[in-house]
Amino acid sequence: MKKSKLNLMTVFIAAALMVFISCGTKEAEKVEVATTATEAKTYKLALSLAITGPTSDAGNPYAKGVEDYFKFVNEMNILGEDKIECTIRDDQYKNDVTKRNFEEFIAEGLDFYLNYSTGSTLALKKDFEEEKMPTIPASFHAGNLIESNYIFLPIASYSAQAIGLAEYVVNNHSGSTPKVAMFIHPSAFGRGPVSDVEKAIAAGLDMELIEVVEHGKDLDNTAMLQRLLNKGVQYVISQTVQSPVATMLKDASRLDLVAKTFGENGKITFLGCHYTGGNDLIALAGPAAENFFWTTSYIITSEPGVGTDAQLALAKRYGRDDKAAQSHNYANGVMVAQVATECILRAKARGKAVNKESLYQELLEMNGINAFYPVTTVGPVTYSATDKAGVDTLQLYAVKNGAFKSVGTPFIPIYTGKI
Amino acid sequence: MTYFFQLVVSGIVVGSIYALSALGFVLIYKSSKVLNIAHGQIIAVGAFITYALTVWMGIPIFLSLILSMGATFFLAMSVERIFLRRLIGEPIISVIMVTIGLMSILDGLVYLTPFGTENFSFPVFLPSTPIDLGGVYISWTQLMGVIITIVMISGFSWFFKKSTVGISMRAVSDDQLASMSIGISVPKVFGLAWATAGLSAAAAGTIIGNITGLNFDTLHAFGIVVFPVVILGGLDSILGAVVAGVIMGLIQQFAAGYLDGNWGLNGTAEVLPYIILLIILLIKPHGLFGIHEIERV
Repeated sequence: MKKSKLNLMTVFIAAALMVFISCGTKEAEKVEVATTATEAKTYKLALSLAITGPTSDAGNPYAKGVEDYFKFVNEMNILGEDKIECTIRDDQYKNDVTKRNFEEFIAEGLDFYLNYSTGSTLALKKDFEEEKMPTIPASFHAGNLIESNYIFLPIASYSAQAIGLAEYVVNNHSGSTPKVAMFIHPSAFGRGPVSDVEKAIAAGLDMELIEVVEHGKDLDNTAMLQRLLNKGVQYVISQTVQSPVATMLKDASRLDLVAKTFGENGKITFLGCHYTGGNDLIALAGPAAENFFWTTSYIITSEPGVGTDAQLALAKRYGRDDKAAQSHNYANGVMVAQVATECILRAKARGKAVNKESLYQELLEMNGINAFYPVTTVGPVTYSATDKAGVDTLQLYAVKNGAFKSVGTPFIPIYTGKI
Repeated sequence: MTYFFQLVVSGIVVGSIYALSALGFVLIYKSSKVLNIAHGQIIAVGAFITYALTVWMGIPIFLSLILSMGATFFLAMSVERIFLRRLIGEPIISVIMVTIGLMSILDGLVYLTPFGTENFSFPVFLPSTPIDLGGVYISWTQLMGVIITIVMISGFSWFFKKSTVGISMRAVSDDQLASMSIGISVPKVFGLAWATAGLSAAAAGTIIGNITGLNFDTLHAFGIVVFPVVILGGLDSILGAVVAGVIMGLIQQFAAGYLDGNWGLNGTAEVLPYIILLIILLIKPHGLFGIHEIERV
């Protein structure tokens, strides 16, 4: 019952979004003319992220998603005569630049902040606390939430994603206890989920974590892959970015180690969290990406639906190229902009002054019947004082014939609640 | 034993690619005593040009590689002509600072193209089934990388030892004033050194891009990754780059194969090359094959 209600709501919101997009600029012009007589307010939002520099392959489409959605909101007068002014600045993945950007945003007046990397989110955590600034980063690191009141993850943390993948392994593995290795980025971003997976195992998740590999800039992973195989590893869960995963998959493919079906005996099944997958992985790994399993909370365009139709229409409306339009990180950017817009809409609807305090309060109340269904994700966005991860639901995808396809239905990891 | 030989083969493959990447540093340093910090960016640009010619213009990849090498030849030569020629005779630190600036400029220019923020991969042009050497596997891409490396390094070795221009370049490296006094054009030699480094960068970039996929951050990082190789081999020795490249490749593979994951060790493949580098430099401060100049006062 709950599920059908959820689906109905999703379709409704998506349809509304589609209508808005297809109505186009003419409608926007009409509404603007009609409302110029009343006093308009401008809400100041800001985003600092890596549009260039390391990880800009994710940051670039993310920025476009944020920019396009706010443009759409303003053009369609979704906030009535009020407008959103979102300043987007490139920090090249440098924490000192992010901090400087944030300080300048604050000096100019800021109602809601969107951040990007794990490093800068951790580095600026105290600043967000001092400023009491509601902040949504693109980093899903669970550590962002420790000793923090104002950081809200858009979707399930990397820890929840890794645990979700581990649960899938345990539930679908045939034979004795599955042997798993983790392939992680040598940073807080990569290391974060390891201890949580270990806690899940301690709490009863029936798998053996054989080894945690912190990768470097490897040209050849033969030694690592052979070592894991010799230790009986059957599954590798990755928490890093696409490039090292692509190199590993190519090497595994060359050595004929990739499982062609999930859990194939004597081979390795490769799985990964949000930033390991998507079209960029297929672009880098080519045919070697086949049978890679990936989890995220976002919809993807290789699985068309109302949400992806809306995403593609939005990208088309603002002249984005196909690569950006198809990117799950474009959806990621759209989604955080949707959440911020929804908070403003709700604060206005309650007759509150729109500022960082009221928007923070709206985030905290986004749960239960007030949960938000953005259609760019596979589940609702829910926040509360004790739950700062937005979309708890995950979807597993696998590469089949060169495109990610859904595997099963959306799920919420069980062990995240047990650790 | 198969495992051991697999690690040896992988080590040699990786080492060869390191050697080819390091060659650009050596070629420039050998002639002009300049350390080009922007070499990683030229490696990346070379890979992108090969990709663009192959995929966007439909030119066969081997021809694209040759054209790309030609393009980076002229790119590097132009860089030397525009930015570095004026600095002949200036303190070496000034020249190195210019190459750091150059790195930022090239970064900025690449970010203006789709290659700055998007990922690509070369089309498959070699058989995907690896070569099986009695249970030891090597991919065609890796084999091609090794062959290109051997050809290029042999060519450059011959060039420096036997050709008039190569000998002139060595002479300039040895003593600029003495070289000028016998009619060698020092600026031309510098330009040629940069150009040949550009040539090797395109080859290295294309090989690395075929292995890792085309990601700007990954590609230009190899300018830094191969730094221990350059220092270990000796900044001015082509043979040193080859030997040090293979040593580093083997150390990394053996560390990953035998140390990582055992006794609580992790990431030794990343750290060990630097530890070995430090130890060797303590014993041989100019690297394994670097020239130790003695100045009489």
